[in-house]
Amino acid sequence: MKNYILTLGLILPTVLFGQIDRSIRPEAAPAPTINIKNSEVFTTANGITVILSENHRLPRVSFNLSMGASPKVEGDKAGLSGVAGSLILSGTENRSKDELDNAIDYMGASLRASSTNVSMSCLTKHMDKGLGLMSDVVMNANFPQSEVDRIISQNEDNLLATKSQEAEMSGNARAVANFPSTHPYGEVMTQESLDKIDRASIVQYFKRTFTPNGSYLVVVGDITLKQTKIAVEKNFGSWSGGAVYKAELVGANSVKGNRVIFVNKAGADQSVISITYPLDIKPSNEDYLKLKVLDGILGGGVFGNRLMQNLREDKGYTYGCRSRASVDNYGSTFSAGGNFRNDVTDSAIVEILMELDRITLGLVEDEELSMTKSSMAGSFARSLEQPSTVARFALNIIRNELPKDYYQTYLKQLEAVTKEDILMVAQKYMTGSNCNIVVVGNEEVIDRITKFDSDGKIEKLDAFGNEASEKMEADISADQLLEKYSTMMAVGSIGKALKKKLKSVKTHKTIIEMKIPQAPGPVLSTTIWTAKGAEGSKMEMMGMTIQKSHFDGKQGGSGGQGGAKVMTEEEIVEKKKSYGLIPEMNYAESGMDYELTGIEIYDGKPCYVLKLTESKKVTFEYFDKETFQKTASVMMAATEQGMQEVTYTYADYKEYGGFLFPDTINLFVSGMQLSGKVKSREINVKVDLNEFK
Amino acid sequence: MKNLIITGLLLASISFAGLSQREIGYVEYDLDNGIHVILHEERSTPIVAVSVLYHVGSKNEKDERTGFAHFFEHLLFEGSENIERGEYSELVEKNGGTLNANTSWDRTFYYEILPSNQLELGLWLESERLLHAKVDNTGIETQRSVVKEEKRQRDTPYSSFIEEMFSRMYPDHPYRWMPIGSMEHLDAAEEKDYVDFYRTFYVPANATLTIAGDIDIQETKKWINKYFNSIPKGQALNLYRDLETMEEEAFLDVYGISKERFDVNNFNNPDGKMAGALLNKLSNSPIRIPRPTEPQEKLTEVKKAVVHDNIQLPALFMGYQTPSQTHEDMYALQMMNDVLAGGASSRINKSLVEQKQMAVQAFAFAFGLEQAGVALFGAIGSAGQELDAIQSEFDIQIKMIQDELISQEEFEKVRNQYENDIVSSNSTIAGIAENLADNHVYNGGAEKINTELSEYLSVTREDIQRVAKKYLTQDARIVLHYLPMEESTEESENGQN
Repeated sequence: MKNYILTLGLILPTVLFGQIDRSIRPEAAPAPTINIKNSEVFTTANGITVILSENHRLPRVSFNLSMGASPKVEGDKAGLSGVAGSLILSGTENRSKDELDNAIDYMGASLRASSTNVSMSCLTKHMDKGLGLMSDVVMNANFPQSEVDRIISQNEDNLLATKSQEAEMSGNARAVANFPSTHPYGEVMTQESLDKIDRASIVQYFKRTFTPNGSYLVVVGDITLKQTKIAVEKNFGSWSGGAVYKAELVGANSVKGNRVIFVNKAGADQSVISITYPLDIKPSNEDYLKLKVLDGILGGGVFGNRLMQNLREDKGYTYGCRSRASVDNYGSTFSAGGNFRNDVTDSAIVEILMELDRITLGLVEDEELSMTKSSMAGSFARSLEQPSTVARFALNIIRNELPKDYYQTYLKQLEAVTKEDILMVAQKYMTGSNCNIVVVGNEEVIDRITKFDSDGKIEKLDAFGNEASEKMEADISADQLLEKYSTMMAVGSIGKALKKKLKSVKTHKTIIEMKIPQAPGPVLSTTIWTAKGAEGSKMEMMGMTIQKSHFDGKQGGSGGQGGAKVMTEEEIVEKKKSYGLIPEMNYAESGMDYELTGIEIYDGKPCYVLKLTESKKVTFEYFDKETFQKTASVMMAATEQGMQEVTYTYADYKEYGGFLFPDTINLFVSGMQLSGKVKSREINVKVDLNEFK
Repeated sequence: MKNLIITGLLLASISFAGLSQREIGYVEYDLDNGIHVILHEERSTPIVAVSVLYHVGSKNEKDERTGFAHFFEHLLFEGSENIERGEYSELVEKNGGTLNANTSWDRTFYYEILPSNQLELGLWLESERLLHAKVDNTGIETQRSVVKEEKRQRDTPYSSFIEEMFSRMYPDHPYRWMPIGSMEHLDAAEEKDYVDFYRTFYVPANATLTIAGDIDIQETKKWINKYFNSIPKGQALNLYRDLETMEEEAFLDVYGISKERFDVNNFNNPDGKMAGALLNKLSNSPIRIPRPTEPQEKLTEVKKAVVHDNIQLPALFMGYQTPSQTHEDMYALQMMNDVLAGGASSRINKSLVEQKQMAVQAFAFAFGLEQAGVALFGAIGSAGQELDAIQSEFDIQIKMIQDELISQEEFEKVRNQYENDIVSSNSTIAGIAENLADNHVYNGGAEKINTELSEYLSVTREDIQRVAKKYLTQDARIVLHYLPMEESTEESENGQN
């Protein structure tokens, strides 16, 4: 070493005292190839294709088992595979879920599962134990009923939340726009299909899908071929199952002319636009990589791509406009879009369609091509550091019938893509005139988007991709509705009897226990009301107050994690518009701006929709057409962070002190779902507003 | 095969060394100007991590100019003589890379992860940062507001406890302030203060260049030579910087020689004997890098204080004085910490949070810094919880670990966790580059990367008991009670706040 430094020292001066012009930026060296060793592949007697990617750099090993079945049409049980997938790690014949979790934690290992996959990674020395757990799951997962119930109810919450999530709604509409309902990609889970999913169907799904026949076990890391063979035989040798399920899938929908699909999102201040169509290409197609480069230039890359440049930088229509060519063996699609203000919804569509056409009309610039390629090369290379990426590649090569050196030569292939290639794939795959134009947004944009439909008739879908039921005219007035509602609340009492009954209520206190998935404990929501006009509410988690607010009839404020705030004049004026035990009774005289907009289907039932307009928020309240019970309340408020949506759903009305109140109250806010049960509801108990200050 | 296994078992029973750790190879050498270079070749992925560790952290700051080290972490992305403002990150990103930096009490660390065919770009970028970054008012103004925003985001409930702890543990040492520093100091500082800091600490002798990944060692050395060895040595570096930034008159004033005599593109061959002599003289005059002496103060009493914060739940924090990161007891101390309060299944979590429900959360940190250490325990109490009761529970647990050996199962679990963590920390080239540099500068040599795990695994249950007795001194510790703002007055009078 010493000698070496000396030698270096002798050579250095010539270089050191040479000249250097630092303003010259270094050029990239030639693109490197990747040293992924060819994987060893062997098949077991029971039909598992084992792919071994040996890598002794670190004493870690991972096993990734994927089923060979193709996606299956789920029909009236749409969503079954997803539900089953989230239940695979819920316990086995030999171990409870807790025992499984603890055993994994003790080793510092990881075990994961999805609807078609189970994977485990750990330090090499824990391999036997880890594989023991993994094979136990694969062969003996037993889907305890309690866990099935928990996951199904979680999915119910997800479905309800979908109605407030434009991106989900858009995804569902895209699915049915691009694929027929007889294709797995055209299926969307609904409450109806979820109702049909039970433990028996989950077990059946698992048995049929998790079979060694046609499955792939990708082994990566610090393990030899011989050790792999022994480990696989020991842990998976006795695994048996039926034949692998391979379905002939029907084709995607063909799109002739532009077709506009609208999904109503009441009160939305922006449109989620997605221009989409099926692509006739599989990953093994030699055009695939070229198409991905094209996608990067158009709207898939990070920098100055065309959609971003045009719609964000030049026009200022949006924060983000992107494209994505999603290519797989069962159904590929292209989509482009983003979120746009209502008033530019049509202009945005014009520009996106224009960009889809423009890229077919001429060669791209050298600069945009080279930047896109560099950025793709970099993220490809960085992704390789994770052993799981290498595993995914090995599997892709087999499943997608790619050349064996596909990933080794990926960077060179990428470098070789030319402007002419881009134009060729653009002309072959891009179109601005045979597209599904999916818009999720406010009804007021319908007039702006109808013109894009080739036959002038737009289709309306609901949140789950079903044909939307047209809104019906209400058969009663708003005031009649509120009267019916008050009567229902008072269990039939009307007029003087109702007034007398109301007078008897001095205070009302409710404690609701709300559960948040993943949170360490429940949220306790306490609300109080007094006949003198005081109101208080607070939310606590594990003894910590997250949020609280109070109003004494004249003034009030809020506090908690967000800091203390005093109610503004404007807020006080609005607060005063909803007073009383049943505020709805008083809307006519309180100055509330309310309007009955019609009858819509909410959660499968026809409901009257009452729209309340206040200065900074709009609320849609849904009343069951038969029972007049309020089933949901969707509030959209303008905040500094943009539009915030809060949805409450109500069910299980029960009598308390002569009034009906819901016992089940769920809350959906910013992607979070809290399922609440009333813990106590008391009339005329002592309450103290100070607790809420 | 059988024999091998038996030998393996024998070895394992004698020493746990190297059970799961694979040797990480590297080459290291010094450049003439003092830059220490460490190269690790790992060619399985075509990417490379280029990093420079500057041996400067908040402990090198003057007490009226705190926050400088961290401020530079932001400022030095502003560009250089050859890189436009804002272009630094863009160059990395559009060439397929990613970059970041971080600052602590002891160091400032910069890195890029690039496709390996962009190694030269990474070297050029880092050499530009070291040689002649833009340190001027425009950039200072921009970054001041960025840093202030960062400070605002960091001012979360309880977050002041580290500073409250350190300022009492080491009241006469720069460890008493936090790397984020004081915004008033940053505001009060002038361009000259910033320039001086750059000229003092951003110099070759204070830098460790570590490159890990898909590299050819010979070629990499060639490029390092080109971009880094060409950075002037000693005081000559600042002559170079002045040549670029000073007007002729000022330059003449300082050096007595015209700028004309020098050429930045051929700096080592100035025109004329006088210029050559000056360059030679300055090259051989090292830049003095001020470093604080180790804190001398020994904590000998219980210091208790009440801190009122914008919080809802009370919290207890306790700190004990421990040695610096290189001390051999640090391994056992860290493992002890984890047995007590690291993670959901640790002793204190089980008792305080799960069983007694006195706290919503409990945790422990073992700070091993370059010149001192702190073992820190904390718990956020349930609403209305008396903090003294939490403290008693901590004390019971501390006494237990001092009186009895931990169970074999706890011992194995904590060993598994350390083994997994250390192996994982070397699973990426960026992680390896950082560990190599850290070990070189702070832990007595880069080689520590290969021995660290065995150091942890050689800790015995008896060691854990021993360090618990030695360092968890109940009569010499700092106890902080964090209380919500409202419940103020009388308690704060009791405290020594």
